[in-house]
Parts: sequence; structure tokens; C-alpha cells
Amino acid sequence: MEATADLLKEGQKATIAGLKDGDFSQKLAEMGCVPGTEIVRLYQSSGGNTIAFRIDTYLLGLRKEEANQIEVTILELDPA
Amino acid sequence: MSFPSSFALVGNPNCGKSTLFNRLTGLTQKTSNLPGTTVEAMHGEIKVGQKTIHLLDLPGIYSLYTKSEDEGLVVKHLIRKDENKPEAIIFVMDASNLRRNLLLFSQVAELQIPCACVLTMTDTAVRRGIDIDLLALQAALGVPCIVFNPRKEKNIGCVVSLFSATAKPNIIGAPTQLPQRLQEYQQGAKIQGLSEETLRRYISIEEVIKKCTTKRPVGLKSLTLKIDRLTTHKWGGYFIFAAIMMVLFQGVFSLAKLPMDLIEMAFQTISSTIKSLLPDGLVSNFIVQGLIGGMEGVVVFVPQIFILFFLIGLLEDSGYMVRASFITDRIMRKLGLNGRSIIPLVGGFACAIPSIMATRSIKSKRERLATMIVVPLMSCSARLPVYVLLVSVAIPFAQFWGPFHAQTFVITSAYMAGIVVAVILAFIFRLFQGKQSSSEFILELPAYQIPRIQTVLHQAWLKCLSFLSEAGKVIIVISMILWFLSNFGPSEAMKRAETEAHILSQLDPSHGEDIKTTLRLEASYAGHLGKWIEPAIEPLGYDWKTGIALITSFAAREVFVGTMATLFQSSEDNTQGIIEKMQAVKNPKTGKPLYGLPYALSLIVFYAFALQCMSTMAVMKRETGSWTWPIALFLIYGIIAYIGAYMVYHIAN
Repeated sequence: MEATADLLKEGQKATIAGLKDGDFSQKLAEMGCVPGTEIVRLYQSSGGNTIAFRIDTYLLGLRKEEANQIEVTILELDPA
Repeated sequence: MSFPSSFALVGNPNCGKSTLFNRLTGLTQKTSNLPGTTVEAMHGEIKVGQKTIHLLDLPGIYSLYTKSEDEGLVVKHLIRKDENKPEAIIFVMDASNLRRNLLLFSQVAELQIPCACVLTMTDTAVRRGIDIDLLALQAALGVPCIVFNPRKEKNIGCVVSLFSATAKPNIIGAPTQLPQRLQEYQQGAKIQGLSEETLRRYISIEEVIKKCTTKRPVGLKSLTLKIDRLTTHKWGGYFIFAAIMMVLFQGVFSLAKLPMDLIEMAFQTISSTIKSLLPDGLVSNFIVQGLIGGMEGVVVFVPQIFILFFLIGLLEDSGYMVRASFITDRIMRKLGLNGRSIIPLVGGFACAIPSIMATRSIKSKRERLATMIVVPLMSCSARLPVYVLLVSVAIPFAQFWGPFHAQTFVITSAYMAGIVVAVILAFIFRLFQGKQSSSEFILELPAYQIPRIQTVLHQAWLKCLSFLSEAGKVIIVISMILWFLSNFGPSEAMKRAETEAHILSQLDPSHGEDIKTTLRLEASYAGHLGKWIEPAIEPLGYDWKTGIALITSFAAREVFVGTMATLFQSSEDNTQGIIEKMQAVKNPKTGKPLYGLPYALSLIVFYAFALQCMSTMAVMKRETGSWTWPIALFLIYGIIAYIGAYMVYHIAN
């Protein structure tokens, strides 16, 4: 199922499908958000302004609208 | 053996680069300002056989395409063309994040500078189920690679042996004319197809990774995630942050007291030794009061600044401060700041100078400027002695206002007032700037680690040095000028003062010296200066003596205390003496104590807001590139301070 990273539920695993063309795409790509990479949504700060993801092997903190730039393919529909 | 004589260490943030640098150089590194730039890089030297090798530690970066102040420095060094260009590179690669580290490597490789590779964090990689085939990696990259975990391994020899083994790296994927593109990018040109270039690099990197790593499935539960559950909890996170900050400040005040007392004692010993060695007169007076007094005013703050930056450094190095940025970004953004602003803002409570420099890590120019603007409103350690002197004069120690200890309450309120005004100003600044899209947060959350004490100590010391060199110059010069102004005056007025003092001291021999110094001071240039601004500050409840102290403390706030001490010439050189003398002064019009509660509160408010620090202004000029902001802020904060002090004085009366 296609979605963007900010829409993932806590603990849900997905694969990065691509990056929307925008201000953050270059920076996100440099930080390792490239197609094919595994992404897991972890915790968020209060209000959901910033969200932590596990990208491949490391943790990345993103704002909601930055996470919105990452297109993902959801692997597990229901996070355990 | 022949090998390059200068090396640069290049790598991602948090890859162990600085630890490696420290291990290689011991404690020989020094920061230096590069000609033409304002940003610092770490230099160090190491002896290999007969040869001295020059090492350069550059800030950690993810990509050479960067425009931020601190990261841009790396690119400047690597593409420079003069003799200071490093001859070779030691590339530090975090094995647990191989893909992302290889992106930077693929860019650096295109510069075709001889290179060798140190693979760090291999233990973490193994725990994450990644096994690396070193020979295959070496073949793919075209440069010698070794495994070395700088925090654990003892024998640095294998890294040293790399110095003689550097090679030109293989270009991974198709070349892109990177040096030229970088130059254009640095000059502000928009480079076409930048994200495509990055994606293409990743495709080539994927092939390298396939060839040299194998992956085993492992569980994901890590200690870092467990700690993050607490530190980023939706309300627990803020609670922990507040608690840590409280412990931090308590720690600073209690730990710094002893060294500060020792420094004061040491300076007093030096002063009295010099006094006894030199004949009484102008020279001895100048050295003791002008020169040594000035130096003491600087050095006495080192313990507080050092301890606060050391503790903040521990938090930063452990990985906690990034989480603090993560949870505060929401609030900071509403104020036009960034989660990353939290580190300079907390640092502002120690000293604004290194904190303004620390704003370099904020990518957006607007957010960086907004952070610099509000940093001076955090009550720095130089304000504390002013607050303490004033509350001690105006409020008895045992007094309580309701449940609050009155003195503590006033000082805490002064700190809070600074924060409140900072919030308001940041908000106003944001309204003026309008909405801009350049803001970004994208921040790696590194795994928690035990802080490296030696590194943190060293960095705290570097921050103290920046305070000592920036503030030191100004404060010492101003102290000397002040000494001159208060010891000389228009000859006629001085003569009159001498005669008058002579007569009065015969009437009251026990206070002869005090009367003499007071009268002389009133007749001096400083006295004239104070009288000159008295009309302007009278509405705030200040007299001409306070006026002099206000003028002199425009050099640096704490000079206020020293100036008051000089003005009240307490024959014993201690603060208690000044306090008692100040308490004894009566307002000639009302008969009430002149330096009472309204006076103290008004002056505390003034000091909380006014930008009375020449060194801060100088650093701000350097970081923004013009005098516009420092001067604008000087005026804006001056007006806020004046109005605030006026209001407080009249309400308290």
C-alpha cells in the first residue's frame, strides 16, 4: 500500500518508494532516505510536530511535513 | 618512508572522528581562526619517526553540498588551492551506517585527494547484524582500510601506519565534475539535478554494499529506544528536561563557589604582595587597581562558565541534547526559532560569546539570526554578581515574601524576565520576517553513549578560552581607562577637592582616607561623567555613582561590582564592605536609604535586559558580517531596559 512516512502508525514498517520533489529532497536523500531503504516509524514529540524514524540502521528525527515528503510502500498493515 | 605531511580527517557526524583526532594528537590540538573566515577548525600535530605531520579535524558532515557555516568549512578546505590544502585525507567511516557514509566517501573520492579509510563502530555494526568484508571494501574503494574503534582500542599504531599508505580512491559510479559543481554551489548557484545525482550515487553504493557486506537478521529492541520512551514522552519529556536544567544550574552555582573564592583569594594575595613590594604611589595603584583588578574581573567567571559548558557538553555528548531539540522544536518553531536553538540558548546562561558561535549549526539563516538575537537575554554568569550585590544591599538575607526567600525570589525573577522578553521578542521578530520555507529540522538521533570526559573537558576549556580572549581584552582595557578616569580630573576641581578633603579630614580624622577618596572621585573625570548622565538616569532612581558604574559596565556587566567597589573605596577589599557602605547612604531629599529596594529592583531589571557587553556585540558583528544587528539590538534592549527599570522603580516606590 502506498502512503507517506508521516502517515505510518507507530511501529509500522515500510520501504521508501521515493521522495517528493521539494525543498527537503536533497537533504533527505543525503541522510539516507533513498528508495528501497527500510523505514520504521518510532516515537513522536508531543503534538506530533517531530517524529522519530528508524531509517535502515539509524534513528532520524523529522518534522511532520518533512516526513510527508517521503513516499513509502507499507509492508505490514497492522503493526505488532 | 615518504608520505604526505598534512592530513584532514573527514567523516559523518558521530562517527568517532574527533575521538580519533584526540587519540592521535593527545592534547596538542589548538583551534585557530583561518584567514578570511570566522569559523574554527581543530589543528593538531603528530610526530611519525622524524617527520611532523599536520592534522586537521573538520566538522562532521553528511554531504559536500552544504551551505551552513560550520559544514561549509569542510568544503572550503578540501577545494582550496593554496599550500594549506591538506595533502591527504583520513576518511573516518561509521561501519554501522555504511550506506550513508559511503555517500560522502563517493563525493570525496571525486576530489582525487590521496586517501585512507578508518572503519569505526564495527562493534555496533555486528550488533546490528552487519558483517563487513574488509578486503572487498578495500578493493571497491581503492584505498587501504583498517578497522579501528577509537573509544575502545588501545594501539593507535595501526592508524599511524595508514599515513604512509594513502592512495587515490576509486570513483564510485560515473564521475560528475564534482569540484566545479561544488564551487558553483558554494557561490550560491542552484545546481540542476542535485537529488538525482545523490540517488544515482546511492545506486552505485548499493552495488558496493552488496559486494562487501552480509546481513544477519537481529532484533530491534535497543537501550536507546527504551531511554527515548522516557526522554521524548509527551509530557514526561518536558518534565525531565526541566529537571535536568534545574540540576544543571544548581550544580553550577554550588560547584563554582569554591574555585571562585580561591581565585579571589589568589588575586588578593597578588595585589597585597605587589603593594608591599612597590613604593606607594600612582604606579602601584595603577597595577593593583587598574591592571590586576581588571584581570580578576575576567578570570573570576571562568569556573562558572567552564562548569556550565562542561555539564552541557556532557549532555550533548551523551546524545541527550538532540532529544531536547526534538521535543522543544514545536515551541521553538512557533517563536521562529528551531529545535537546534536550545543548545545556544542554554549556553547563553553561561556566556553569550561561545553561544552565539554555537548557532552556526542552525541551517536556516533566519532562525540562526533569531537565535542570536535572543541569546543575550539569557542571564549570563556576568549578571549574577550584579544581582547578588544589589539584593544583598536592599534585602535582608532572612527576609521572606510569603513562602519565598526574598533574595532568591528576586534573582530567579530576573532570570525569568529575560526568558519572557526573549519569547516576546522572538515572536515579534518572526512577524516582521514573514513566513519562509527554508526552515528544516532533519536531525539524526544518535544512540546514547557514555560521554567522553576528556573531549568534553577540552571543549569546555575551548569555550572558556573564547570568553577569555574576547571578553578579556575588552574588560582589561576598560578597567585601565576607568582607573585613569577616576584618578585624574580637571586640575582645578581636583585641587579644590584636595583642600576640602584636608579640612574635613582634620575635623573627622577616623574617616579621613574615606572622605578624601570620595571627594577626589567626585572631582575626577569619572565623577564628571557620572554627573553628566545623572539627569537621564534619575527617573530610574540612580545617582551619579551608579551612573559611572553603568557607563563602565557597558564593557561588561560584572565591571559594575568592581566600579562600585572603587567608588565606595571600601578600605578592606571585600564585598561585605561595599554592601555596608551602600546601605548607609541616605537619599538627601527623602532621608530614606538611597540604595533601597526600588533602586535594586530597577537596576536588576536594567541589567537583565540591556545589551551591556561589548564582547557580545563584537562577536555578533563577526557572525552576522555587519554592525547593523549589534547596534540595533543595543538600542532596542537599551530602550526595553530603560522602560522596564522605570516602571519597576515607580511601582516599587
